[in-house]
Amino acid sequence: MAMTPRKTRNREMLFDSVIALVFILVACVDLCDGATVVDVYRLIQYDMSGVPFGSRLASLNHHAASLHFSPHADLSRTVLLIPLRELNMSFVQEYIAASKPLGGLILLLPQMFSVENKGGVGSNHDDGSKELLKNVLDEVEQILIHTNLPDASFLQYPVYFAFEDENIDTVLLDIKKNDATGQPATATTGGYKFVVSATEPKKVGSPPITNIQGWLAGLKTDGDSHQLPTIAIVASYDTFGAAPALSVGSDSNGSGIVALLEVARLFSLLYSNPKTRGQYNLLFGLTSGGPYNYNGTRKWLQSFDQRLRESIDYAICLDSIGSWENELWIHVSKPPENAFIKQIMEDFSSVAEELGFQVNLKHKKINISNPRVAWEHEQFSRLRVTAATLSELSTPPELLERTGGLVDGRQFVNEAAIVRSVKLIAESLAKHIYGHQGKNVQIFADNSNLAVNPSYVRSWLDVLSRTPRVAPFLSKDDPFVTALKKELEDHTDEVNLQREVLDGMFTFYDSTTAKLNIYQVASVTFDLLLLLVLGSYLIVLFSFLVITTRGLDDLISLFRRPPSRKVKTA
Amino acid sequence: MTVFHFFNCAILTFGPHAVYYSATPLSEYDTLGTSVKAAVVYLATALVKLICLATFLKVSESDSFDPYQEFLKALIGFIDVAGLYFALTQLTHRNISQNHKFQAVGLGWAFADSVLHRLAPLWVGARGLEFTWDYILQGLEANANLVLSISLAALGSLMWLRKNKPKTLIPIIYLCAVIVATMPSTTSYLRRGLGWHLPKVVGFELFTSLVMAFISWQLFAACQRPSL
Repeated sequence: MAMTPRKTRNREMLFDSVIALVFILVACVDLCDGATVVDVYRLIQYDMSGVPFGSRLASLNHHAASLHFSPHADLSRTVLLIPLRELNMSFVQEYIAASKPLGGLILLLPQMFSVENKGGVGSNHDDGSKELLKNVLDEVEQILIHTNLPDASFLQYPVYFAFEDENIDTVLLDIKKNDATGQPATATTGGYKFVVSATEPKKVGSPPITNIQGWLAGLKTDGDSHQLPTIAIVASYDTFGAAPALSVGSDSNGSGIVALLEVARLFSLLYSNPKTRGQYNLLFGLTSGGPYNYNGTRKWLQSFDQRLRESIDYAICLDSIGSWENELWIHVSKPPENAFIKQIMEDFSSVAEELGFQVNLKHKKINISNPRVAWEHEQFSRLRVTAATLSELSTPPELLERTGGLVDGRQFVNEAAIVRSVKLIAESLAKHIYGHQGKNVQIFADNSNLAVNPSYVRSWLDVLSRTPRVAPFLSKDDPFVTALKKELEDHTDEVNLQREVLDGMFTFYDSTTAKLNIYQVASVTFDLLLLLVLGSYLIVLFSFLVITTRGLDDLISLFRRPPSRKVKTA
Repeated sequence: MTVFHFFNCAILTFGPHAVYYSATPLSEYDTLGTSVKAAVVYLATALVKLICLATFLKVSESDSFDPYQEFLKALIGFIDVAGLYFALTQLTHRNISQNHKFQAVGLGWAFADSVLHRLAPLWVGARGLEFTWDYILQGLEANANLVLSISLAALGSLMWLRKNKPKTLIPIIYLCAVIVATMPSTTSYLRRGLGWHLPKVVGFELFTSLVMAFISWQLFAACQRPSL
């Protein structure tokens, strides 16, 4: 008799623990199977001199709404899904620039801005709308990067970019339909839930910048102990944009990189034969840190020894030469009366005349106390090396502007323009190197084996238009940097890598891509209703079965426990 | 509220079995042992069926309706009937009347079927954030299956346990048994061959199960009278 209470207690404990285990297991809701999973790209998050910019959050778990939300809805727990076509600047000013509270923002970009979409030369009747979208996107991008808000410079909610495709388009249509009924999506009314599970963004410890230099030695005649003069050709290869995972910078500065590589290839052909090797060394530089006041270029120049620096006759920096029609600009900081500058201008303008377009000179003085470096040649000039920048832009861009962001895609670059630029640079350099000033000689003529190769240009441009190149996110051993190094090795005698760390003014945070899970959720009221229906169904079933098998009296007797039973057990 | 949804679908799928057990006199006569034995027999039958399916059926890439394969599947489905026969006749039951025996066996059979076929998808799927109607439809299907199993058990007990039956009713009994036994093949034909969507198929199953239950009830009642 004493055993049984203990046994029952043991059995009860076992039962309880089993129940507890079942509850714990059941409560593990698994979030991993959404109906739709979309790749999304996060807005950049950075600090500049301690001031935070961009979007500070990465994870997202809210209900979704579209632009047709009711005007007085509280959006602090809602994610807005906005396609670029429907975005107007008044909304941007009202919500984003005024920093109204939002749960999150997802901008849907048309497929034409996608890095996988080559586009090519688009159809003419679409160009007008393409231009419009491009301008809108440009404006939005600038606002998002440089949010200058009265009380905060950054956005306190996650901002993501995504591309339109079938799945997300149907979701958007559904959301619009729901919003049209006037009911905001919350936990009690069902709708769509957007979930991005991302870890909190961490600082990128020491953002690396890697400068790649290639040296093509000139012809040294015997007994000549003097150092040969050098000509440098430089282009910066990294980008910066609102979505670092999408900043491919086809024009800024993909065009410059491609031109540099092609010039290197042509001159390596010329220099391979000692009879045609010029008496100038050629130094090719692919620098990083371009958007950040050409930080990498400065570090690269500072690493030169004095002799090398003094032997540089002049340097030509290439910046955005991919979408021009009729004129290019040469920007200098030394006064135009300078002998070297005059020489450069003569060479370039005479070749340009032959090729049928115009090259203009623009002079901008450097202000040493101003840390802003607008053109790459200014870093050379600060170290007393004559330099000029060849560009299609007539005015210098502001800080972090035109640095290869979202709008700088493959379809807005014209490879014929790059081919013409390469011809210009190569012929002008050849004029200077081989001393053909004043003569009408074409070394890199079409249909010769020194002709500019358009398919080389095209293939490198395509590769560059698919590779996002924001410097802090390019690791030390990034395959793209290795590929550039290998390519330069093919065309030059000696290639060196210089690895540095970006200067302290900028701090970057990681987490640039994520996956968005879209769930269609039912409201709580639906679940409660279902519970009610099921409960009543089971009760009805129970009563039906009792009545048919045992009779109506039994059913009634179930609800009335006769007091006599209690008396019996007692 | 996803655990909530799981809970809802679970009570839709398994609730009727519990309700049936407690509402009918089965609970009074404590026929739980019979139901458990029937569930075990169902498990064994399912295993045998799986082995036969794996041996004789070839995997088809497309989701179309292949009559030969479906015929084979239907034949293998008769193993179900054999299992039910075993459960009804060969197992030793306590002294319970025939009336309750077939109900207990049918209940145990249907419960094992629901657990085997529906618990795992429910567990994995219904707890996610995403909402679909699938699990509710699955629960309704479980209900239909319960009714069908009990009617099949009733017809089975009529065929094998009752000795004296009116001669005219025997072919009808066998016909109904065949119809009920081939229900799985019919539903798969509807789903694949005719391309019906799940709600339609479930509706059809519910309707036919109620009809067959009614018919077998009438047959059972008709066979009851002479033996009294």
